[in-house]
Order: sequence, then structure tokens, then C-alpha cells
Amino acid sequence: MPSYEYVKCTDLKQAFDLLSSREQAYPLAGGTDLMVGMRGGKFTARLLVDLKDLEELKILREDEKGITVGAAVILNEIAAYEPILKNIPILAQGAHSVGSYSIRNRGTLAGNICNASPAADTAAPLYCLGASIVIAGTGGQRTVPVEEFFTGPGKTDLKKGELVHSVLVPKPYPQEKGVYIKASRTGSVDLATVGVAVQRWGDKVKIAVGAVAPTPVRALAVEEAVNEKGEKDWARAAKLVHESISPITDLRGSRDYRYHIAEVLVRRGLEQTMGV
Amino acid sequence: MAQKMTISFTVNGDKETREVNVGQTLLKFIRNELHLTGTKEGCEIGECGACMVLLDGKPVNSCLVLAVELDGKELVTIEGLSKNGELDRVQKAFVEHSAFQCGFCTPGMIISAKALLDRNPNPTDEDINEALSGNLCRCGAYQEIREAVKASVKK
Repeated sequence: MPSYEYVKCTDLKQAFDLLSSREQAYPLAGGTDLMVGMRGGKFTARLLVDLKDLEELKILREDEKGITVGAAVILNEIAAYEPILKNIPILAQGAHSVGSYSIRNRGTLAGNICNASPAADTAAPLYCLGASIVIAGTGGQRTVPVEEFFTGPGKTDLKKGELVHSVLVPKPYPQEKGVYIKASRTGSVDLATVGVAVQRWGDKVKIAVGAVAPTPVRALAVEEAVNEKGEKDWARAAKLVHESISPITDLRGSRDYRYHIAEVLVRRGLEQTMGV
Repeated sequence: MAQKMTISFTVNGDKETREVNVGQTLLKFIRNELHLTGTKEGCEIGECGACMVLLDGKPVNSCLVLAVELDGKELVTIEGLSKNGELDRVQKAFVEHSAFQCGFCTPGMIISAKALLDRNPNPTDEDINEALSGNLCRCGAYQEIREAVKASVKK
């Protein structure tokens, strides 16, 4: 049996103190990545800092700033939250694509991004929505755009002693359709082979792609063609996704397959959001 | 030396207080300490659903939960579904529809199906598929399993 300590935090300060003062201390929210990672040897924890019962991290609300999702809010709750379904359904689609129903009863949005898999299903929708990550630590709070939060596979902008407090999807919300399309080997309980989020904003579009680079990436060349150059041939526009991605071959798909399927999914996303 | 903690919880309606090793999963605790072996150990990475239990009424993979996290919570395992020796309607439907072959996935399937019917008494086929999305059956009895869940809706 693994040997580590466990502390159920009663306030955030206690969490910061523990995370900053102890070696190999990990925050625990849903644990669905952490437990698997510990079992597989990816993490060796000496202390687990349980954040689940911190009221401040359980916040799920909409106010004048936008929609705030606390770090301890589970994915099933996010996928069913009325203001998300009404205003930013693309995030509900991403949350709903993670794992399985039972995994989503434990797993959180903050955990999905902190695990920093390039394939994280919630990341591409957050990129398209211009979300901000609210990071808290002993020095106070700071906010980073989601695109700067991911720094590499399994790597984030978090410093020792910091944790994700919440994710903010700011107003104004898009008034048009957005879709998250995931290609995976099975209908659930699999990571994305490629995941594509396409969000229409007025007559413009934002596109992000997962599992094709060290972090999720924006398909900027496609966006430029559609938004600036008035490209209306979605198939031709979608080809430009190749400029933004650098996929690898792994057990979920080869490099070539990922190039191909990324292009196909971007085209479908454009058709579904911008019209055929 | 593993850290030990005392936790209080409810299991299948009974209040319990136990000392647990930190680092022990809820799954191991259920099987080895509570001796409720209906909950099965499969993949141990949250992919197969054989270890599904209800934690405060929600289906979770007990292999991905620590036993210490059970503190203050209500646990229901497959053993907790029958009342006074009578099987739950979902269990009866599984028997009537032969919704299993080897039976290893069955407790997890039934827990997931039970949770679905508790939160949604009239599920669509899509709802059923989603609710069972985290439960794998290596024998491939999915068709009969779906039929059994549908049959328990009507009762």
C-alpha cells in the first residue's frame, strides 16, 4: 500500500501552507487523474491535500463578469448547469466528453486542465471562449488566459504552493453556435485522438484543437483565412489546420492519421457553425 | 508506517466507525475490511466500472476514491440493494433477461442502472447508454443489459 499522508483542508490558507512547505504535496479534488497517475508511477505523493470540502472552491455561479466554475465543481454539474447550457454550450459538450458518467461524478474542470493533457476535452472549448484561469496562492490571486496556462504536456503555469481556484468564462458570451467534436477509439472512457472546438462569434470563428501538439492549440491559420480573408470554402480552410499542429504517433493514432482527422473535424466544425 | 485515520460513515444503511490506512482505496476497504466482495476489482484505473458503488447516491469508481474520503458519507454497495431478502427491481430484471454471462461486471452495471433510475425514472435509450458508459462487459452482453434496464423502467 502506498504510504503518504492525507489532510482534508478546512480553509484555503491551510492548503497553500501545506502545498508550499512540503515536498511532493499534491492537491486532491476529484482524484480521477491523480489516483491513476500515482498507481502508474507518474506521481509519487507524500502528502495529499484534499480541497473537495472547501466552500470557496465549490462555487458555480453566473454574475456580471461571466460564469465562474470553482475548482471543486464536478464535471457532471458543469455539463448540466443551466447558464452554461444556455450561453456557452460548447463547454458543456467538452465537460460531457470527459471519461464516463461515473468519472464525471468525481472529476473537475480544474483537474482536467491541471492534469494538462494536450487531449483535455475541456481545454479546446475554453480556448474558444477566451476563458481565464484564476490561480490562488500565499501571495494572493492572479489570473492567466487559458492559452498561457498550458505550457507543455502535463505542465502548467502553476508555481509551487499555488492552485487553481476557479475558471472564469467572461461575458460577452458568443451568440452563435459552438461545437466540440471528439474523435476517439471508443464512445467514452477514452482520451481524444483529436478534439476540435469551433465557436462562431458573429461572422468570425475561433478554433482550438487538442491532442495534436504539446498543448492544445488555436488553429490560427484557419481562423485568419475565414475571418480576415473571407474564405468560404470550408474544406480549403480546414487544410490550413496543418500549419498549427505537430501531432505525434501513439496508441490512439498515427501522426498522419491525426493530421487527416484534425482537418476533417475542423471542416465539420465549420460546416456546423458557419453553415454549409 | 502508513498514517491511520478514523472515519465514520453509513454502509448499506448501517452506521460504522473504522480506522483506515491512508492510501487504501475505497475499493480495497470495501472488499478487505468491510468484507463486501460483491464490489469487484477490475482495471483499478477507472475504466471498467466493476468497482462501481453509490457514494451519497452517486455512482463512482471506488478504485479512484480513497477510503478516508468516505468519512461522513453514505455508501451503498450491491449488497445494499436487496431489502429483506428480496432483490431490487433492477436485479430482478437482470435475472429475468439473463443480462450477464460471467457476471463479473454485473454488480457495477446494476449500481449504475440503479443510480440512473433514481435520478431519472423514465430514461431514454441514450440516457441508458450514457449511464452505463463507464461499465465494460467483456462477455458482450450489452444488448441484454440494456433490455434489463429498460424492463426495470416499466415496473
